[in-house]
Amino acid sequence: MTLPNSLPQPHILLVDDETAITENLAPLLARAGFRVTTAGDGRAALELTQSQHPDLLVMDVLMPRLDGRAALRHLRQAGDWTPIILLTQVGEAVERAMALEEGADDYLNKPFDPHELVARIRAVLRRARPGQPPLVAAWKLVCGPLTVDRRARRAYLDETELTLTPKALALLEYLITHPDELVSRDRLLDAVWGWDYPAGTRAVDTRIAELRRALGDDPVAPQFIETVPGQGYRFVGQVEGDR
Amino acid sequence: MNHRRRTTSRWLLPLAPLLAGIGLSLLLYSLADRNPTVYLSGQLSALAFALGVILALLLALGLLMADWAARRAATAVSQAAAQDRRRFLRRLDHELKNPLTAILAGLANVSAAEDEDARATAVHSVTTQVQRLRQLVADLRKLADLETRELEHAPVNLTDLLEDVFALAQAQPEAEHRTLSLSIPRAPWPLPTIAGDRDLLFLAVYNVLDNALKFTQTGDTIELRAAEDDSQVLIEVGDTGPGIEAADLDHVWDELYRGDGARGFPGSGLGLALVRAIVLRHGGQTAVRSRPGQGTLVSIRLPVRH
Repeated sequence: MTLPNSLPQPHILLVDDETAITENLAPLLARAGFRVTTAGDGRAALELTQSQHPDLLVMDVLMPRLDGRAALRHLRQAGDWTPIILLTQVGEAVERAMALEEGADDYLNKPFDPHELVARIRAVLRRARPGQPPLVAAWKLVCGPLTVDRRARRAYLDETELTLTPKALALLEYLITHPDELVSRDRLLDAVWGWDYPAGTRAVDTRIAELRRALGDDPVAPQFIETVPGQGYRFVGQVEGDR
Repeated sequence: MNHRRRTTSRWLLPLAPLLAGIGLSLLLYSLADRNPTVYLSGQLSALAFALGVILALLLALGLLMADWAARRAATAVSQAAAQDRRRFLRRLDHELKNPLTAILAGLANVSAAEDEDARATAVHSVTTQVQRLRQLVADLRKLADLETRELEHAPVNLTDLLEDVFALAQAQPEAEHRTLSLSIPRAPWPLPTIAGDRDLLFLAVYNVLDNALKFTQTGDTIELRAAEDDSQVLIEVGDTGPGIEAADLDHVWDELYRGDGARGFPGSGLGLALVRAIVLRHGGQTAVRSRPGQGTLVSIRLPVRH
């Protein structure tokens, strides 16, 4: 998918202390239609964000001088909601909770397929509402009768608490924070499970079925989770976030 | 083993004064005229004091010996850990060297390729090796994660799980040329549901079955079967493959261990280490029996909690 020609090239700030990464990713992103600036640490990233106002940051976590997490916190505390994709793992519950506090727009585990990064960047840019916190930074998400309270790790349907396994809840959380976005099973595995599994895509389908049962969602006429045959899933409801 | 032998021999030490005492007493007894009667007398207070001193000395000696034993044990443990670590690093070095060498050669072939076909072949070979490294890194992370990862404790239907694992194994290209069978008890009752992380348990059973597929040859038989008693479920994978040498049998669960029979086969060398880690986290046990030339039987025991 390409961006309409009438739009200016989105400006990406690529931050990683490993020059092997920036040197190889920058031309790839440029070929994908982005204007790319690179930085080697969090402090340089903060300075460049202030002076150049990029449309999105792709940032590693472990870096000298100022690491990615600290740079991200710094920006968010200053009320800067420039979309950020952090290059790290958020597989475990602890990391997930931390990620929520941080307010990054998306996460990608190293090593990743560079085309997946391009897809993530496009999805985040499409979702972003300039100057406003993204849904992924919201503590509470509401979609019609469905409420997900991320702080309490509970979900309610018409104010009745849903009984969900932790994995199914994490899956619901990911889908509801990425509304109207086609998410592949592999992406869900990476983002929610954090691991690759043999027959992993079937594990995703099993949890989706569990979610649908709990939500009373009809796959033929879904109110929440739509199956995109051969491609993945999409959260179809209108979602409001509350930070 | 050595350490245990030393601990046993230590208890022979108190026998030495006992034997010396018996020897001396027999000697004095046989020389009746040189066996005078000795009378000891003293104030009760002095006796109490002497008793105190003797008890204190005995206690101090006991504590010293216990300390010494503990220090020796700790040194042995840390030496074993250091040895494990060195062994692991050596194996890791080995696992990295081969794909890297192949990548270097592949890259040289890419730049020297004279036509599109040669370039495509070289690029394909590099991509394969990169995938191999990627799998190794992913498996290493799984192993590290398993130590701390929060385990899901949801009811797992083992019959379902084993059927899914079996179906996936059957879909592998190797399965076409082997006889695969699945045997799950249904009478008088099906396998019990256990509490655990379905995805991890799936991975564990699949890794064992995948190993059997990998190490057997055309015409071999592989059986996946399960049994239960009230307290545990036994899952077994038996194969008629080449078997594992006795010397390698103790190490098959070690990280990155490859016996002579396992060299040259694809895989990260972490498959069974992951199986063990997952089963242990579920409170279960793993075991392997093998007869070279006949085959291998890997078993997983998982506790059933009522």
